[in-house]
Amino acid sequence: MKLLNNMDKKTFLALGVLLVVLSIIPHFSKLSTITLISRIFILAVYGMSYDILRGYTGFINLGHALFFGSGAYIAGIFFTNFGNNLVVFGMAVIVTVVFCSLAAYIMGKIVLRGGGVIAAAMITLALGEIVRNIAERWRSVTMGADGLPFKIPDVFRDRIGFYYYALIFLIIMTVVLRQFILSPTGRVLMAIRENEQRAEFLGYETSKYKLIGLQVAGIASGLAGIMFGILNRFANTDLLSVQQTLNALLITLVGGTGTLYGAIVGSAFVNAVQNYLLNLRSVHPIFERWLLFFGAMYVIVVLFMPEGFVGLWNKYMKERRTKKNTKAIEKGL
Amino acid sequence: MNPLLKAEDLVSYIGLYTILQGVSVEIHQGEAVALLGRNGAGKTTFLRTIMGLVNTRSGSIKLDGESIVGKPTYEIAKMGIGYVPEDYGVFDELTIEENLKIAMWKEDKPTLEKRDYVLDLFPDLKVAYKRLAKTLSGGQRQMLSISRALVNENKIILIDEPSKGLAPVVIERLALALKEISKSTTILLVEQNFALACAVAERYYMIDEGKTVDEGTIKELIEDTELQRKHLGVI
Amino acid sequence: MDIFITLLINGLAEGALIFLMASGLSIILGLMGVVNFTHGTLFLWGGYSFVWIYTLTNSFVLGILASILIVFALGVFFEKFFVSRVYGNVPAQILITLGLQVIFTDLVRLFWGASPINVARPSYLAGTWSIGGVTIVQYRVFLIVVGALIAIGIHILLNKTKIGMVIRAGVQRPDMVQALGINIKLYFTLVFAAGAALAGLGGALYAPLVGSISSTAGMHNQVLAFIVVVIGGMGSFIGSAAGSVFLGLMGAAVAWYAPSLAVVANVTLMAAVLAFKPSGLFGLAVKK
Repeated sequence: MKLLNNMDKKTFLALGVLLVVLSIIPHFSKLSTITLISRIFILAVYGMSYDILRGYTGFINLGHALFFGSGAYIAGIFFTNFGNNLVVFGMAVIVTVVFCSLAAYIMGKIVLRGGGVIAAAMITLALGEIVRNIAERWRSVTMGADGLPFKIPDVFRDRIGFYYYALIFLIIMTVVLRQFILSPTGRVLMAIRENEQRAEFLGYETSKYKLIGLQVAGIASGLAGIMFGILNRFANTDLLSVQQTLNALLITLVGGTGTLYGAIVGSAFVNAVQNYLLNLRSVHPIFERWLLFFGAMYVIVVLFMPEGFVGLWNKYMKERRTKKNTKAIEKGL
Repeated sequence: MNPLLKAEDLVSYIGLYTILQGVSVEIHQGEAVALLGRNGAGKTTFLRTIMGLVNTRSGSIKLDGESIVGKPTYEIAKMGIGYVPEDYGVFDELTIEENLKIAMWKEDKPTLEKRDYVLDLFPDLKVAYKRLAKTLSGGQRQMLSISRALVNENKIILIDEPSKGLAPVVIERLALALKEISKSTTILLVEQNFALACAVAERYYMIDEGKTVDEGTIKELIEDTELQRKHLGVI
Repeated sequence: MDIFITLLINGLAEGALIFLMASGLSIILGLMGVVNFTHGTLFLWGGYSFVWIYTLTNSFVLGILASILIVFALGVFFEKFFVSRVYGNVPAQILITLGLQVIFTDLVRLFWGASPINVARPSYLAGTWSIGGVTIVQYRVFLIVVGALIAIGIHILLNKTKIGMVIRAGVQRPDMVQALGINIKLYFTLVFAAGAALAGLGGALYAPLVGSISSTAGMHNQVLAFIVVVIGGMGSFIGSAAGSVFLGLMGAAVAWYAPSLAVVANVTLMAAVLAFKPSGLFGLAVKK
């Protein structure tokens, strides 16, 4: 496989160890930890889907949650109305893929007409809020603001079992999204990020490529939404809200935008911190106010750590490498 | 006598690019000095560096003996430097009157004398006084931009390629006006149009690849065609 | 005919409220190139501080003044300590204002609770007039008058005063304004805070109209303001005024004739405008 050839042996070994550790963790952990880690896996995919857009095209989509929430709602509505078995699960996946690529197409057609980052951010925020509003008012199907609890297929019931499904989901999606970034289309997207005008001069119809990027991001986000819905056995309008989009943004910011893997690190960090703070709520009720910390983290990251963890790491490695090189050169002389 | 404006070994950068790599210029009270050089030599960047619009890495700039490096643009302007940028920089959505008014606020007590002086110098502006600046022609915009540097007590004005994009007839009028202005004001003029530079300035500095490479009087340069060819290519 | 007048007044009143949000947003965008995602929060803070002071002192006027002052101060705080650090970096501006939005919206819930707080109109604005069989709500007329006065005020400010002149010049060439000896950063703070205060006033006037204030109102109104700024043309004051009135009237009409379409109407309008005129109806798009 091309993917493996690109990696050196050390990375491969490290990944292998990590995989083994992740596979045995559930057998030594509390149920709450298993659920937390499953959540980290799923939100990592959601974060990566955001990074495709933000990191690789520079486009800030503030309506991204509409794909994620739709995935959760589609799963919930299907399981409630057509039975909770794997066939229905398959149907939900297909419908989510179709719905998200269609929604992304419409969104792209509205947003990607010239404008710029500012216009796109404002318009996508409006679009996302509209979808959330529709879900809130369409009570007969979505149960409105109360949220939609639903039953899930038996295979997904076992928390430990689902942990593995979530892990497999994360691995598959990482490979798929990585291949997308490395594909010719992905490379054009990167060229757009570096310099949109130049990409245009080279003859690429940039809005077409951005549209494809948006669709891939939308589908990945929708699939993560299905998994998230199954994990919680519940969907509500919060999953469609701006706050949910900001979750993805924070995950990519903390991890490092434009790095893809950053989202995995970001998801682990953000969810672990959230979990830790919520456990402190018996110490002081202020720790229940996750949003305060969430917002503060946001501002701090933007002001003081714009590259995120993976960005910082890459920078550190690069510096070390150049130091090594200069030393080698000095020795040679 | 101390120079009015003195830049020494100036190095400045935009983002990752170092544009000026050692520019030294001295201008004395009452002089008209031309800054010559090829396209992209760093002439415009030099003026923007003086104004604090481009960051200085090292070197010094002194106005009347006082360092202005690192000061915010508006303070540098208030110390008595007038700036006429390459693309005129007039405010399209403001009238000619308002464009001049904004420039006059620099003084605590603006006087109308100076305004009347520029309106006599450029009668076109008097005619269009209440009109929006976007209705003006290129030459008239240049006049407005220069006027904004003249309506207050500036010690020196920096003019960036006033002839750019203008018709020869307009350039001739502009040369006369600049000659007139130079009688009472110190001028640093960036110019590609050699004829205009000769008509206005007495001394010159030559910039190439971000460095000052030569200086002398305009008279010497006019007489030495070899030097002209060397520095300016075909004129 | 009766219903026409009622809808006209409802629409204009709604438009006046949207205008208070959109005008500040639009001027900030035009002058500083900053899209301010804290606007919804500032609206909320206006609403809640109004309700707080109003119930405390029983004075409608004091409540309004307090909300304007408090939100103006918040605006200064946001600009000085956060937004000013990231001028020129559009993504960072968007992200940092989003972060502030999250924090300060949650602070509202922390201070005043998550459930809606009821608030009545002051007695002298609570009544209705009946003219030729048409019932006219006084408070709505009051909103229209306030909106119109503010619009005229901003127009005069922009066109007749020193501040306005600097703003108009700065929208086009901020570097040249500085090179003429004017400290534009000072104006940035001032304009940002003034825009904030307008949003705060919007929140204060909104609460008695709806009869209550809750923490979800901020985002809802921010979205409306965004739509107005997009269709009016980013950075255009006239555009934001016209867009607000139009959105208000359309909202009133849709709410009466086709309430089920209320949610999608605004976005459809926005999409249509963008499809035919991407720079907005009144042009002057900010190129960033």
